[in-house]
Amino acid sequence: MKKLPLQGVRVIDACIYWAGPMATSLLGDLGAEIIKIESIQRLDYLRLLGGWPSPDGYEWSAVFNGVNRNKYGITLNLNHPKGKEIFKKLVEIGDIVAENFSPRVMENWGLTYKELKKINPKIIMLSMPGFGITGPWRNYVTFGPNVEMVSGMPIVSGYKDGPPLMTGYIADPAAGLMGAVAVMTALRRRQKTGKGQHIDLSQIEAFTSFMAGPIMDYTMNKRMQPRRGDRHSSFAPHGAYRCEGDDEWVTITVSSDEEWNRFCQAIVSPAWTRWPRFADALSRYENHDELDKHIEEWTKQLNKCEVMRIMQQANVAAAPVLNYGEVLSDPHIEARGFFQTITRPVTGTHPYPGFPVKLSETPVSIRKAAPTLGQDNEYILKKYLGMKEKEIAKLAEEEIIGTKPQGWAFGMEAEEAISRLKDIHTKAE
Amino acid sequence: MAERALSGMRVLDLTHYIAGPYCTKMLADYGADVVKVERPGGGDAARSLGPFLNDEPNPEKSGLFLYLNTNKKSVTLNLKSAAGVNILKQLVKQSDVLVENFSPHVMPGLELGYKTLKKINPGLVMTSISNFGQTGPYRDYKATDLNIWGLSGILYECGEPNREPLKMGNNVSEYVAGLYAALTTLSALYYRDGGSAVGQHIDVPIWECFHTMQPSMTLVYSYAGFVRKRAGVRFPWGILPCKDGFIGFYLPTQTHWESLCALMEMPELREKPEYETPMLREERREEVTAIIVNWLKDKRMGDVFHAAQELRLPLTIVPNPEQLLDTPQHKQRKYFVKIDHPETGRLIYPGAPFKLSETPWYAGRAPLLGEHNREVYCGRLGYSQDDFVKLKEEGVI
Repeated sequence: MKKLPLQGVRVIDACIYWAGPMATSLLGDLGAEIIKIESIQRLDYLRLLGGWPSPDGYEWSAVFNGVNRNKYGITLNLNHPKGKEIFKKLVEIGDIVAENFSPRVMENWGLTYKELKKINPKIIMLSMPGFGITGPWRNYVTFGPNVEMVSGMPIVSGYKDGPPLMTGYIADPAAGLMGAVAVMTALRRRQKTGKGQHIDLSQIEAFTSFMAGPIMDYTMNKRMQPRRGDRHSSFAPHGAYRCEGDDEWVTITVSSDEEWNRFCQAIVSPAWTRWPRFADALSRYENHDELDKHIEEWTKQLNKCEVMRIMQQANVAAAPVLNYGEVLSDPHIEARGFFQTITRPVTGTHPYPGFPVKLSETPVSIRKAAPTLGQDNEYILKKYLGMKEKEIAKLAEEEIIGTKPQGWAFGMEAEEAISRLKDIHTKAE
Repeated sequence: MAERALSGMRVLDLTHYIAGPYCTKMLADYGADVVKVERPGGGDAARSLGPFLNDEPNPEKSGLFLYLNTNKKSVTLNLKSAAGVNILKQLVKQSDVLVENFSPHVMPGLELGYKTLKKINPGLVMTSISNFGQTGPYRDYKATDLNIWGLSGILYECGEPNREPLKMGNNVSEYVAGLYAALTTLSALYYRDGGSAVGQHIDVPIWECFHTMQPSMTLVYSYAGFVRKRAGVRFPWGILPCKDGFIGFYLPTQTHWESLCALMEMPELREKPEYETPMLREERREEVTAIIVNWLKDKRMGDVFHAAQELRLPLTIVPNPEQLLDTPQHKQRKYFVKIDHPETGRLIYPGAPFKLSETPWYAGRAPLLGEHNREVYCGRLGYSQDDFVKLKEEGVI
């Protein structure tokens, strides 16, 4: 078997929700051993997103199962001294501790970097709260949608005549990706110097890094960039166009006059393509609405994949707007083997998005499906703490570990928690 | 100079535009030595993209370029000349990493494919970023950020139901791919220096990288056969106008809804059976939204934000760039930094995306085109002054 790039690196993962778990799942994909710690007293809210309205519905959350592959899963009550003790023993044998609580949470548990460093001086700790470890808003509550909002990116996104647009989720995985980069940066330095350190990652700062264009325009020119829909700041045409069928679209983006000429030839040069008001980039930009109408007259008679083929043959950037079902069966995605079929207890066999990057010497894959709640309690406690069956049974009795939720996030009642699980189920019917 | 996390790491940077430069910016800002190779004349295409300082198109004054190329050195080199290719190979010998984001046929076409470079430097990590990856039927297709959004599945569910699907601004897919490139490059170096001593070729496809920003919806499709449609404001979250800007809300649970009723001083809403559950509120999102909008219209963004947070309710500001620069949180954490540059003077940039306690991020500036030609060609490769002048005259640099 080929080795993996991060083989031998061990991550003690106290992350919840999405951003933190994304960071550790990427490290897990790259070969690190991830020991994910969950709580049965306060079930990870992510387990309630998009599941099924049944008592074990928390095993059906697509997003949880998507971002927790390649991890061992244990449960631990960190409010109990014994739970804390086990956590500290794991820190002793860990290389990295990762968490994304509000700063007050780890502080209340007495599990700050300062304390963990005493147990393991080489430890690298990744803390990634919404607003960061310091600052007046440090303990303010934020979720992925809030991170996206506070970055300001929605202000420059949306229809030109409409309100700010957001995806509602993109900041979570993006901040998680930044968290994984941060860990690797610190790990490279540790490889050379043997020294650990603390990473203070504000998810909002991380996501705001993608906002450089509008921010620099403001700091340089005091300009507030407008919302411009799918349009580019200077090239035209640039947009999504209706195709044959119901809610079928293709995106076409022309980035130069040469590309425009090829575009015109590809659609067999109807008369309007020769009109002076579309002759150069600036006039096309000024007459973008009218230009779009002409283009759509052409695209709406065609299949969206056919438009891509015609455009790409003419070396013009174009691609269909795929729904998620179509992404799964796209021939290019299939040829690259992006999705990997994995069998998991409870949920059965399904295709999961793989690690997107290919490494020639150390190929990366999904080796383990996301853990069911407390799935690896015994394995980890025996392997790393040398515990005997009896001790483990006692921990279960004391509800320090377990495999069934005893409580839900935000003080939810079981009834509400199960009703939250109805989301996808009801919509699918 | 303070010790930095990636000190000693040598990167040869053949990237342009956004995804590649963002990858090498991450490495440079944390201490790697990055030599950016640009084509003589125009340099990186991002130099000709706005926003420009005072809207004056100038290759040294593009805000996008200045941000994406901090802490790098710039040399010019004509890779279409044999002498240029020869010089590049000498630089490869001295590098740990080469990052490029040309179309997949370009590097092999210049006889600079991984197989060739590996012979020169077996420990080299070569990272190739492209829209569709180095293999597969769409390998040579062209794409921009909007096309990638379309392919990812994300575009399909963003925007209003009866209008065209909508992407967010700012080329997010390229930033995401740049981070994946940085992550895997560092991982490959970790592997190389952990005893294996082997380099490798890394294939970073922007499409697949961007798809992982929503890894669950293909699974939802597979679990439940369900495809989410566009829905505009998708209760339980959304962005609504207030007196001086916008407020974003996220109401994942009953507790949050009850806190919002308390914040708006409308306890009677809690009692209404038609708004009792999250599902019911989502069905009636237009009504619920109208109530919130009406309440927000004479409220200031900052007041609502702080009052909500007192109740641990995730309502947040949605700042425009001016408001963003003015937030006390960013100010106290010194997120925005001032960077001096010989052509633009001092400008404000977004700063460190994460803070390392022992080896800080560094706010250096972007290079002028070819600024480090002499340092790199004479200093590192040992060309004499005469050779240097000759290379210039022949248009190699």
